[in-house]
Amino acid sequence: MAEPAVSIRGLVKRYGPSTAVDGIDLEIGRGEVFGLLGPNGAGKTTTLECLEGMREPDAGSLCVVGCDPRADRRVLREKLGVQLQSSALPDSMRVDEAIALICAWHGMGMRPDLIEGFGITGLLRKQYRELSTGQRRRVHLVLALVSNPDVLVLDEPTAGLDVQGRAQLHDEIRAVKSQGVTVLLATHDMAEAEELCDRIAIMIRGRVAVCGTPAQVTAAGSGRTRVRIRTSRGSLLPGGDRGDAVFVGDDDGYLEWRCHDVAALVTQLLGRVQVADDAVEDLRVERPSLEERFLELVEGDEGR
Amino acid sequence: MNAFLTYLWIQLKMDVRDRAILLHFYLVPLLFFFVMGAVFSSINPLMGATLAASMTIFSVTMGAVMGLPAPIVRMRESGTLRAFEVNGIPGLAVLSVQAVSAFIHLFLVSAVIYTTSPLLFHSEIPQSPGLYFAVLAVFLAASIGIGLLIGVVARNQSFATMLSMVIFLPSLLLSGIMFPASMLPTSFMWLGRIFPATYALQSFLGLAYQTTTNMDATLSLGIVAGMGLLVFALAIRWFGSVRRGERS
Repeated sequence: MAEPAVSIRGLVKRYGPSTAVDGIDLEIGRGEVFGLLGPNGAGKTTTLECLEGMREPDAGSLCVVGCDPRADRRVLREKLGVQLQSSALPDSMRVDEAIALICAWHGMGMRPDLIEGFGITGLLRKQYRELSTGQRRRVHLVLALVSNPDVLVLDEPTAGLDVQGRAQLHDEIRAVKSQGVTVLLATHDMAEAEELCDRIAIMIRGRVAVCGTPAQVTAAGSGRTRVRIRTSRGSLLPGGDRGDAVFVGDDDGYLEWRCHDVAALVTQLLGRVQVADDAVEDLRVERPSLEERFLELVEGDEGR
Repeated sequence: MNAFLTYLWIQLKMDVRDRAILLHFYLVPLLFFFVMGAVFSSINPLMGATLAASMTIFSVTMGAVMGLPAPIVRMRESGTLRAFEVNGIPGLAVLSVQAVSAFIHLFLVSAVIYTTSPLLFHSEIPQSPGLYFAVLAVFLAASIGIGLLIGVVARNQSFATMLSMVIFLPSLLLSGIMFPASMLPTSFMWLGRIFPATYALQSFLGLAYQTTTNMDATLSLGIVAGMGLLVFALAIRWFGSVRRGERS
């Protein structure tokens, strides 16, 4: 098996008496987009900061494309691109100056390919103070990619962006992935994680509660699939439980059940409609969302 | 080295766009020089003779102690230092560029004062211009060291301003640049001796103008240099410990 791009073994980080990261293990494959999810204070940013070499772990081992972030900080800077959750450039620094500066520090010439690729040609002469939040994020993303890193760490990259800015940044992350760069993404946005990530880990209180593809994580929950149906003449009224399917109620002509065995319930319902000489106007089967799974995990933890 | 020079060039261009930097490094010192130069040369001809030295001490102290800490504190508060660090620019390089750019700005202002004070206020030209600029370079380094130290010690802008004032006002009032230090009460005269401005004035007067001084001029220059080395070492050490603290 190929060496993982990022390997975390037994990572522990404490701030005084509180443990921010409590012995997590993660492996992220090369070229993968990996999402780190969790409520505030779950330890996502601390984990990323340990990988970036910005925090000293209390225990555990870390490896980012063959580098130990504690020992090989210089080499790490060439291999790891980072967009921090909160960062800035000097207000009076122009975008072209920022790119020239970072390029010079990596021993490279200007990167017109990145400037064109990210559509920031029009921003080059603007000072940092004149940029919108979305434009700043794009500039920081370009800066993180200047050294052609193997791994890109993005901490809450779309926080505070409008819908258009978010979609644009998603496209840019996909473009980065298509070039074989491993992306490690911390986010609160479940839709973003589902849309972009090959695998995700949900962190709660410094531990990894669940890890897998978004579909695996969602399926691993106890959540039932939602089945909603509307018929022309209301032949299924007044509803009621059917086998393992729990009847939730009716709303706007739709009757709703929650069940594990979708096929059995749908077959049964369609049979009843046919017998009653009724017709199905709409039938919706909605599996539990990642957000519901996330809330289930968080609320389960709070209930403990 | 190329990367450092690129950063320095960009920093100088940014400084020209930054109103606060222009105000602290150029506008206020030069305005003060033009106003006080006229006052000094008319009320005290003895002080008017060495106007370039006293106004240079004022300008350098103003720029280094009042102007330099704010951008350093702002870079730490806003996350610029972290953004630079993850993009490969070490924190010490940031401090060094701030120091060198401040040196260039303040040297330029000092050169303007040096060349214009004999023309405008008929002050004396130093007997030894070489020693004048040597003293200036040492005093610039010491003052910039103090500015850096305030910048790395202060946790926020208001604390930085307070620390700057604690250094700036006594330097101005007790060093002898506004009125002779011998006119001060003994306790204040001794208090003035903890600031490099006091020794810098003695060095300028004794070495560059070759006039009589209260203290040995060469020893004074040595004290300024020693203070400079000490504050630079403290600033670097403090900065290192702050960065380590942020990592732990």
